[in-house]
Amino acid sequence: MDVQTLTYLIVGATFALYIGIAIWSRAGSTQEFYVAGGGVHPVVNGMATAADWMSAASFISLAGIVSFVGYDGSVYLMGWTGGYVLLALLMAPYLRKFGKFTVPDFIGDRYYSQTARTVAVICAIFVSFTYIAGQMRGTGVVFSRFLEVDVDTGVYIGMCVVFFYAVLGGMKGITYTQVAQYCVLIFAFMVPAIFLSILMTGHVIPQIGFGSELLDAAGNSSGVFLLDKLDGLSTQLGFAEYTIGSKSTIDVFFICGALMFGTAGLPHVIVRFFTVPRVKDARSSAGWALVFIAIMYTTIPALAAFSRVNMIETINGPDGQGVPHAEAPSWINSWEKTGLIKWDDKNGDGKMSYANGETNEMKIDRDIIVLATPEIANLPAWVIALIAAGGLAAALSTSAGLLLVISTSVSHDLLKKNLMPHISDKKELMYARTAAAVGVVIAGYFGINPPGFVAAVVAIAFGLAASSLFPAITMGIFSKKMNKEGAIAGMVAGLAFTTIYIIYFKFVNPGANIADNWLFGISPEGIGLLGMVINFSVAILVCRMTAEVPKDVQEMVEAIRFPKGSGEASNH
Amino acid sequence: MLKQWWLQRQLKKRINNSSLDSARMHYQYLLDHLHQPISTVNLLALDIEMTGLDPKKNQMVSIGIIPIINAQIQPKLAQYKLIKIQGSVGQSAVIHGVLDNDLKHALSIQEILLWLFKQCEDKVLVAHHAPLDLQFLQRALLSTQIHSQPLLAIDTLHIDKERQLRQHQVLKTGSLRLNACRSRYNLPIYNAHNALTDALACAELLLAQLSQMGGMEDITLAQLLIKNR
Amino acid sequence: MDNSELQPIFDFMCQLPPFDSLDQTILKQCCQSLTIAYYGKQQQLVHVDTNQAQLYIVRSGAFEVTTQQGELIDRIAEGQFFGFSGMLSGEKVVNQVHILEDGLVYHLPATMFDQLRAQSHSFDRFFNQAFAKRLRNQGSISNKHINTARITHIMCRNLTTIHPDATIHQAALLMSEKRLSSLVVMEDQLLCGILTDRDLRNRVLAKGLNGDLLVKQVMTDNPFTIEPNALIFEAMLKMSENNIHHLPVVDKVDLAGQEQQGKKPIGIITSTDLIRSQSSQPLLLIGQIDRQNSLEEIIQVSQKIPELLHNLISSDAKAIEIGRILTSVTDSLTRRLITIKQMQLGEAPMSFCWLAFGSQGRQDQMAGSDQDNALVLEREPKQTEQAYFKALSEYVCHALDACGFPFCPGNIMAQNPQWQLSLKQWQQQFTSWVRTPNPKALLNATIFFDIRPISGDFHLFEQLQETILKTTKNNDIFIAAMTKNALQSTPPLGFFRSLVIERDGSEVKGIDLKHKGNALINDIVRIYSLAAGVAEVNTSKRLESLISKNKIDKEIAMSLLDAWEFIAHKRLTNQGLQFNKQQTVSNYILPDNLSPLARHQLKDAFKVIHEAQSTIRLKFLRRF
Repeated sequence: MDVQTLTYLIVGATFALYIGIAIWSRAGSTQEFYVAGGGVHPVVNGMATAADWMSAASFISLAGIVSFVGYDGSVYLMGWTGGYVLLALLMAPYLRKFGKFTVPDFIGDRYYSQTARTVAVICAIFVSFTYIAGQMRGTGVVFSRFLEVDVDTGVYIGMCVVFFYAVLGGMKGITYTQVAQYCVLIFAFMVPAIFLSILMTGHVIPQIGFGSELLDAAGNSSGVFLLDKLDGLSTQLGFAEYTIGSKSTIDVFFICGALMFGTAGLPHVIVRFFTVPRVKDARSSAGWALVFIAIMYTTIPALAAFSRVNMIETINGPDGQGVPHAEAPSWINSWEKTGLIKWDDKNGDGKMSYANGETNEMKIDRDIIVLATPEIANLPAWVIALIAAGGLAAALSTSAGLLLVISTSVSHDLLKKNLMPHISDKKELMYARTAAAVGVVIAGYFGINPPGFVAAVVAIAFGLAASSLFPAITMGIFSKKMNKEGAIAGMVAGLAFTTIYIIYFKFVNPGANIADNWLFGISPEGIGLLGMVINFSVAILVCRMTAEVPKDVQEMVEAIRFPKGSGEASNH
Repeated sequence: MLKQWWLQRQLKKRINNSSLDSARMHYQYLLDHLHQPISTVNLLALDIEMTGLDPKKNQMVSIGIIPIINAQIQPKLAQYKLIKIQGSVGQSAVIHGVLDNDLKHALSIQEILLWLFKQCEDKVLVAHHAPLDLQFLQRALLSTQIHSQPLLAIDTLHIDKERQLRQHQVLKTGSLRLNACRSRYNLPIYNAHNALTDALACAELLLAQLSQMGGMEDITLAQLLIKNR
Repeated sequence: MDNSELQPIFDFMCQLPPFDSLDQTILKQCCQSLTIAYYGKQQQLVHVDTNQAQLYIVRSGAFEVTTQQGELIDRIAEGQFFGFSGMLSGEKVVNQVHILEDGLVYHLPATMFDQLRAQSHSFDRFFNQAFAKRLRNQGSISNKHINTARITHIMCRNLTTIHPDATIHQAALLMSEKRLSSLVVMEDQLLCGILTDRDLRNRVLAKGLNGDLLVKQVMTDNPFTIEPNALIFEAMLKMSENNIHHLPVVDKVDLAGQEQQGKKPIGIITSTDLIRSQSSQPLLLIGQIDRQNSLEEIIQVSQKIPELLHNLISSDAKAIEIGRILTSVTDSLTRRLITIKQMQLGEAPMSFCWLAFGSQGRQDQMAGSDQDNALVLEREPKQTEQAYFKALSEYVCHALDACGFPFCPGNIMAQNPQWQLSLKQWQQQFTSWVRTPNPKALLNATIFFDIRPISGDFHLFEQLQETILKTTKNNDIFIAAMTKNALQSTPPLGFFRSLVIERDGSEVKGIDLKHKGNALINDIVRIYSLAAGVAEVNTSKRLESLISKNKIDKEIAMSLLDAWEFIAHKRLTNQGLQFNKQQTVSNYILPDNLSPLARHQLKDAFKVIHEAQSTIRLKFLRRF
């Protein structure tokens, strides 16, 4: 069976699995739910949270970025993991006690102001849009490869699938479906990593293989460490040394910070913590989720390194002189169809050459790495198909959640609560669906014309969240003195600063997007942290100059931080 | 113009030559209403079931009538009569469902004709494919010597035929059957071959045709009436 | 076949709801009375003759009813009707009927229409429902139509009032002049008391006082009152329980700057009005209950409850009223049992309140409802005090069981020590359910949050309820969890909106009208109420309160109310049928027992539930 048929089969089978679980859990839920009486186990919930968390960005793009830029790419790993811990352990429990289901609702109530709420809604929509645009790109890459179409067409197909998944799918939000998605996803990710690890280093566990010596053709240890070999190859081809970053320390710090604090402001992840019944469960499932996320995140550097070595050797040949394009392996041909790999025979020798600088003849999109790895390494066809299924699972679960956040925010928070308070509930539902459709289209536009590769687009989303929502949430919980004027001014200032900075470097003047022109040497990906600092400062300044917070709100804030023995069930 | 003049002449002649009171009243009613809008004219939709299609050989077995007054069909004034025949209904029972046994207490043909004239003293006859029904009636009238003048009626088949020809459509076989005509006007299809049901079907068809011809206010009786050949 | 009949007309009519439920001979008459017209598009509008009302039955074609301003009210296709609104309301027809597609229309004269309505109850009901739906679409629900009112029907609206500073003499003159037995004492448009001839007799004449006394010195201040939308039966109950003969009917009005609501009198109702108006059968039963002094006697009386239910069903009372009446009987039964036991046990060691939950709480008890009750105590009891409540609650629960209210399978009963809690414990319990909405807590929520005090110190209950509403109101996370839970169960409609029949193996069980119908509506309405902090627990009262607070779409609320009533009514009549056929009484209705009309309406009712579920999914769960 060829790859394409297998892909259809396996993707189809996984979808059938999700739908089957949805039907089964719907039919069986009522009885099983009550007889057990205990809800879902934290381990199960942890897997579901992990599936929500691992977007197409993590699955498709993260390994790609690490693979191409080496050490610098690892900021994403650190930032996201740190952000998750911050959110799960420090913020979610308090937000939960406040009893608000969405971030804008929390901000609206905490800052006793409709305006604050509206600003938060706009921030949330903005952030979600940026995030979902990254997902659309990822989905597009998957579809383009396996349907062998142009990447733009892939995005169009992805748009339709995501829309129907979000609007019609009865399977979203069902814990066991997400567990299944996690399993498909992690399996799809681990299998090629393990294969490669065994092939290249003889170790079953990729994380160990990452730090080991390579095998030679005869299967004996060659004495050369994987990373040393990579460093060597990189220098030889004119790239920066793989294990040493090219980004300045301050930029790394800022990107990392923006990702971390941005995570804590992401609307669709916060909601996940509210759907478990108990605060305690929320914490322990967060712990488990971290474990499940770690399984993948620690594999990413290994996979990145394996595929990098493999890719360079396939293109440049074992001798480093280049392989004739006519003899190029089939994966290069397939990816050329999608437009994500381009070969430009500059010196006219008919051979491909991959390097940094003038001699480079290959344009390779970083987002293809995870998807292409099994093909590069000549792994069996079913592994390739499995990766497609995993990529789709990742993209769909995140996009559908985000699309819901966007569309209900627009219909409920913007339209019903602000612009058109008199629309009927039926109309509201219609507007929500329309908003979902519009949302998909806009996201699709950014997916086709991305201001960066998937992970970078997503990083921008996090930056926006960090600069707008995070300070308002944190101060809302931890400072009873923060008033509405301060919070609103802070959010507006932070969001405006970050947005303008990003738009300038990414859209208005992309040519100037180099370290020398950056403010304090901070790249657009990291500017969210500075935006956050501005947000905090403006908020505190404005707060000092304006009226004090009403007494009842102060008491409320105190109550959520210091519960008066009413949190858990009483003993009797 | 010519047709109207001719119609008037025909009607006057019939009024003068009719021996039967109710027949005279019928023609008088037609004459009086010749130039009236059809909405103000009382109509009587009629359908006759026969043992076959040849007026010379076959006989009438049942007759159904239903009046249209004020542009509305009046089911409560609908009537249905069976007619005594010579011999048996034979194979035709399959079509109209009337059995020899049913005809035991039927009215004689004389009684039927007198009853019919009575019913249409102040009404205009309407039928689908009227010439056939009129020929049967005409033969009966002659044979019973009640009356000798041919009858006049509105023919819904003729209306639809003209309409189709005016629209330059090719007349397909069967396209002028009662149910085929009705389906063009969004009317429900009735399956029973029963004189009364067909009379109702014909009445509904006429209302639909008139509505589509521009409403009952603008059409006069004279425009619709045709003569038995 | 009788050939003088117009078979096509008859064939059509005898399959057309609601005509299909008519007797053959009546239907024939009805067919005879029709006239038939054809409406073509060129005419644009159906000319409706206002002097000659008739029902338009669409045989073919399509029509649209709009207001004069052109707002769409209804679309009408084959087998549907128009023209009934004018005949039902007696008002002049102002709506317009547009012809969308040419078609044949049967006209049924008003005289025949009225005759059919008088002859067939289901025929009448069909058009009343269609009319109600039409009105709702029109968005102009005048009170006249929805209040097929109760108390307001029989109360005296011509109030004779007197100022509290008037003298008794003036009052007496007024009463004899107007031949009245009572006067309503009013100040600043608000009720401050009532003066009856009994007051004059007992408090003035018997004490030898003279007529210079002021009315306010003699009147009964803060008299019992009743609200205009109460059932007549409830007024009777109030009078007989308190041994009074006059009840002012009041509207509650908000007073500026005051916590308490003021009472604005709009009429008065006397025991004579009541006796004149109603059969008092349920009241007799309650009176009987109140006179019994032993368990055996009470059990004997309670055996009349099924008969009462049966009578109510066959008299075709509204399901909502049957629920209220039956619950009142249960309430009296519980109260009497508590009193009997307390006569033996003596005074309670502390104040307590007997609470009812679930269907008794919601006042929609039907046949065979199990008991859901509990005790709230002033404080945590000591060992000895515990024994008192153990004895009391075990007696009452067992007695209720013997009276036909079986034990709660979930053991939510006052005799379970787990549910004999102090006010503070109850408050903590509710708070923890709200804070920790696990499946168990949510299951409890569906029962415990429909709470109503039955007997004892109502003040305890009021404090508890205040806490409950404070914790649930605006707690989006809890509300979202409740919503998710409520959406687990959906109305039995298939993908193409056909009715889904439940099966148990090969045995057809039918459609579960309770769990797939009324319970779902109760769930939906409860969620809205808890989110809005509405104190009512009865589903229809909750909806009224939600509408007045503008916390629910009026259209959805009214449709839910209709759907609730329809499904409950079907369930009751079905149970009546099962009872008569001596089958086991269940909540399942077999599809065979549904006429095409009922099937049609049941689908509509389930559709309403489906729509309301999508609404709460979006509103509270942020999904769609």
